Amino acid sequence: MTDTSQHGRERPSAESPKTRALEVEGLTHSFGAVDVLSDASFGVEEGTVAALVGPNGSGKTTLLRAILGLLGPDAGSVTLPPPAPSGRRIGYLPQAPSFRPAFTVGETLQFYADLLDGEANVDATLDRVGLSAVRDRRVDALSGGMTRLLGVGQAILGNPPLVVLDEPTGDLDPRMTEYIFEVAADLADDGTTVLLATHNLTGAAETDAVAVLDRGRIVGSGPPEELSASVDAASLREAFLALTAREAGDDEGDPSIRVRTRGGDGA
Amino acid sequence: MSRPAFDRLLAVVGRELTTVVRTRAFLALTAGFAAVVGMLAWTANAGGYVPLVLDLLAPVEVLVPALALAFGYRALLGDDERGELDVVRTYPVSRATFVFGTYLGRASALLVAVLVPLLAVAAVVPLSGGTESSFLATHAGMDSPIRYVRFVVLTAGFALVVAAVAIAISATAGTARAGLALATAFGVALVLGFDAGLVAGLAGGVVPDAALPSLLALSPNSAFRGLVLETVVGGVETGTPAASPVAGLAGLGAWLVASLAVAVFAVWPKTDR
Repeated sequence: MTDTSQHGRERPSAESPKTRALEVEGLTHSFGAVDVLSDASFGVEEGTVAALVGPNGSGKTTLLRAILGLLGPDAGSVTLPPPAPSGRRIGYLPQAPSFRPAFTVGETLQFYADLLDGEANVDATLDRVGLSAVRDRRVDALSGGMTRLLGVGQAILGNPPLVVLDEPTGDLDPRMTEYIFEVAADLADDGTTVLLATHNLTGAAETDAVAVLDRGRIVGSGPPEELSASVDAASLREAFLALTAREAGDDEGDPSIRVRTRGGDGA
Repeated sequence: MSRPAFDRLLAVVGRELTTVVRTRAFLALTAGFAAVVGMLAWTANAGGYVPLVLDLLAPVEVLVPALALAFGYRALLGDDERGELDVVRTYPVSRATFVFGTYLGRASALLVAVLVPLLAVAAVVPLSGGTESSFLATHAGMDSPIRYVRFVVLTAGFALVVAAVAIAISATAGTARAGLALATAFGVALVLGFDAGLVAGLAGGVVPDAALPSLLALSPNSAFRGLVLETVVGGVETGTPAASPVAGLAGLGAWLVASLAVAVFAVWPKTDR
């Protein structure tokens, strides 16, 4: 059985064999006395797009950095897929991608391509992220959205089996946001596993799986519909609010953080 | 097929060179250094290569570290601040390759900025006609272009050492402000601090006279000065205490190796990914 998302791709069926490309087990990390990750565990299946959602300060970036090996967790383990023939195991888009300003788009990607084993097709990568027309434009002349697309291009160079995108749609307009989610879906269709942290719950609802992180713990995970059903929510947004409110120790929600909506009393 | 590490090294070197050459500050600093060196050579009217070396030695001791620190103190720090180091770590490139590539790229640019003006001002000697030749220049055995070339080669070595120090600062500083503070402090220590410390030690009897040639080699500036005085000026009593050439070479080599080692270990922690 398959399900078709808004982006026209088929989600993996419940019956299809599941191979996990990423397995996170009991990750714990503290910055001094502050516990940022507390026994966080979840997995992402191969060739799928998974969204990591959570309130500001919930530990999303720390979790992604622990997965990438950029910081050593106090406890727990991360199992990653083997590296691609290019030698790259994980592609990474930081939250605020930035590049040497005096370089052109093409030069920037070529530098990263030259760090890989074998040849990487820079032109094909530019085409994939829609930046072919600005190949010769300097990085400091790019818009914020284009810089982010260049970051995505960099993240997928060398076809790593796992791509980690940290808030790839932050500050982007709806069209560009939609485009980023389409690129992620295309990558998954080609067998790449994509894990993206986002605050965009509309986009997250179109992914194959969602993990909700709150106060450093995974408080819910699964396909968006199942996750919503698990807390009797009508939408991922409602499920998110319910899961993160429960973690605050109040099933009714934290009264100090009411979400007001037009024509309503708040959520 | 696995790409040789040397190809990756060249990619990093090329990136650094391109970055430096496209930076207006590089052009401005290079032009400034050339102007200062040219003006000094012209106004000194040295009348010989060795006198020219003596005229340039002190300014070079100050300006070359200043240039090296200016070119290098943000090399790795800038990548770190932009988040590019985190990105680079997801590629199959080692810390040593990345640091050496960064160093070689910046050092190459520094060598061009320093050596071209120094070689160019050598033309002042034949152009000046030696009308006001000094004692040094009148001794044919003492003065020759070869001695000036030795000075230039030693300056190149000195520049490579302070460039390595700049890269180490760049790898260890956490912020641009800390990097600038470290670079400034190190520059002042190089130019003034170490020699002043030794003078104080001598005056106070803490440093014995016999140990001075070896102790001077501990500072890159003193080691460089000693090498120039011994191997370029050679045999002329200048009244300046100098490090022994062997100790000087060992001192400069130690600074080079130690600085690059610090940079490799500090640029990012070793991980198993």
